[in-house]
Amino acid sequence: MARVEVLLFAALREYIDGARSVEIEIQPDQTIEQVLLDLGVPLKQTRIIFRNNRAAAFSDRLQDGDRLGVFPAIGGG
Amino acid sequence: MAAIYRVDMSSLSVRKEEASEAYRDLGGRGLTSSIVADEVPGTCHPLSAENKLVIAPGILSGTGAPCSGRISVGAKSPLTGTIKESNAGGQGAIALATLGIKALVLEGAPVDGKFHRLMIDADGVRIEPADDLIGKGNYDTVAAQFEKFGDKIVCISIGQAGEMRCSAASIAVTDPDGRPTRHCGRGGLGAVMGSKGIKLIVMDPTGGQRPKPADAEAFKAGAKKFQAALSSHPLTGGGLAKLGTNALANVINEAGAYPTRNFSDGQFEGTEAISGERQHDVIIERGGKIGHACHRGCTIKCSRIYVDENGQYVTKGPEYETIWAHGADCGIDDLDAIAQMDRLDDDFGIDTIEAGATIGVAMEAGIIPFGDAQQAIGLLKEVGKGTALGRLIASGADVLGKAYGMSRIPTVKGQAMPAYDPRAAQGIGVTYATSTMGADHTAGYAIGANILGVGGSVDPLKPEGQVELSRGLQIATASIDASGLCLFVAFAVLDDPTAGEGVCEMLGGFYGREFSGDDFSALGKRVLTKERQFNAAAGFTAADDRLPDFFKSEKLAPHDVTFAVSDEDLDQLHDFVD
Repeated sequence: MARVEVLLFAALREYIDGARSVEIEIQPDQTIEQVLLDLGVPLKQTRIIFRNNRAAAFSDRLQDGDRLGVFPAIGGG
Repeated sequence: MAAIYRVDMSSLSVRKEEASEAYRDLGGRGLTSSIVADEVPGTCHPLSAENKLVIAPGILSGTGAPCSGRISVGAKSPLTGTIKESNAGGQGAIALATLGIKALVLEGAPVDGKFHRLMIDADGVRIEPADDLIGKGNYDTVAAQFEKFGDKIVCISIGQAGEMRCSAASIAVTDPDGRPTRHCGRGGLGAVMGSKGIKLIVMDPTGGQRPKPADAEAFKAGAKKFQAALSSHPLTGGGLAKLGTNALANVINEAGAYPTRNFSDGQFEGTEAISGERQHDVIIERGGKIGHACHRGCTIKCSRIYVDENGQYVTKGPEYETIWAHGADCGIDDLDAIAQMDRLDDDFGIDTIEAGATIGVAMEAGIIPFGDAQQAIGLLKEVGKGTALGRLIASGADVLGKAYGMSRIPTVKGQAMPAYDPRAAQGIGVTYATSTMGADHTAGYAIGANILGVGGSVDPLKPEGQVELSRGLQIATASIDASGLCLFVAFAVLDDPTAGEGVCEMLGGFYGREFSGDDFSALGKRVLTKERQFNAAAGFTAADDRLPDFFKSEKLAPHDVTFAVSDEDLDQLHDFVD
């Protein structure tokens, strides 16, 4: 098993009961897409994904100790 | 026909004239930059009688076009020495347009050094004494006007910083609630207004008439299409109203591009406490307001009303850049303290980005420690007292940094960088370096493609593709700033072709002729060309289009990157200018 930290932001937090992040155990090499589906996050609502602070895609695979950050559409400035 | 009013503060006289052929189809930044480039000597001192302060509503302001209430103010900047256009929301643009005013050109300087009020109504422009307002902040200044002239008026004013002619002074514009919360912040144009001896402008649009499009049907169809695109986009159709601009804090921090403690780190450990999510919850818990419109006709509604623990009004927003500048950049994670500083900035009339960045430099200089919110508030209060230290704070990061012998000063052409580290978002670094106005994120918002997945995707950590990205954005932004539309419409325009079509159809309907995407681009190039020509006349060269050295030598965590776009590539940005 691999342990990863998943951080959800803005409206996505409702899928982890309003929390900022959850630590979960996954199979090594599990894709970001699968992790999000397992958490019940609709992929359509996601727009910006970071794996260890770098832009990532649904198909990227996670490793033990990874930090996943997921946002819906965000703007401002 | 909309008129240009020239107010000569040397002779205290007003002249009304018809816009010349060259200016007839311009507005907003297009008009302010054209008049400044055509009439102000590039080498003049920005606070001298030779400089001119030009105030203009956007092309579409007052027409009922959605989100078109931006007001542009232009002059030679005392902060950067370049041409400057700074724009804001609030009710000012609509009031000017309703009064049939295409531009106000404030010229000369009073020989007696006194302050005045410009009173503008359906009868024209009058210059009146304003001795009773000297030394007052923006809040007291405008409150006295609403008491005297009733609730229909709109005010444009300066606070103590503008009176002292400090180079980070802003110009405040009242919002629909009559509060001086929307600021033309960047570039110290409040100091230019102060040098003209004008404390405030009071506009009463009663009896005026909103500008009418030449082809009302075509305009209406364009506006409908545009609004439909804004409403259906997740950001302009609800996202910005809910979390405000500060929704960015977490995403920029996650990207490692959130400048922390005077640009010494790319992530701030206190981000969650000052994030848009937290700000939203605090406002809701205390009975403040989200989804506030900064001007009538704004449908994006990114503004909010921040209240204290007793539910009493403190300030608007605050906005993302403000929260970052007084927060992460100073190592401060106290939202209430940041809101207090935003209120002080608005009241004294100083640019919130410059103010926070200057406090960050003051902390690095050891004047006060990083992270000390109460001492930061105390430092800011020096501005209102007019002390020597307060004047340094109100003069910006570059001036204070030099006074304290600092070498790490995050400015370009004397203007402080906003809330994105150019090492971890290299596209915005190109914009900071090459903008005609010093470090300015709005001039070409590469964060969209670098980080937010809007308008394409360009790797933020590599130099490739950044110049092309920034160039396209700088051209489009100059057009948007001329139109009077809020820059946030770009989120929809970049994602949905019908939004851009709507903009062109509105402009075509307004002018009564075809207006294509190419025409839109040509407008932006025309504006940037004027601005580059002014800067060349003011003595600026390619050597000025650079970031400070430490961005090329100090690696930024967590990505351990430096700014890597070459000087040769930066020099290609304005390849469309002769």
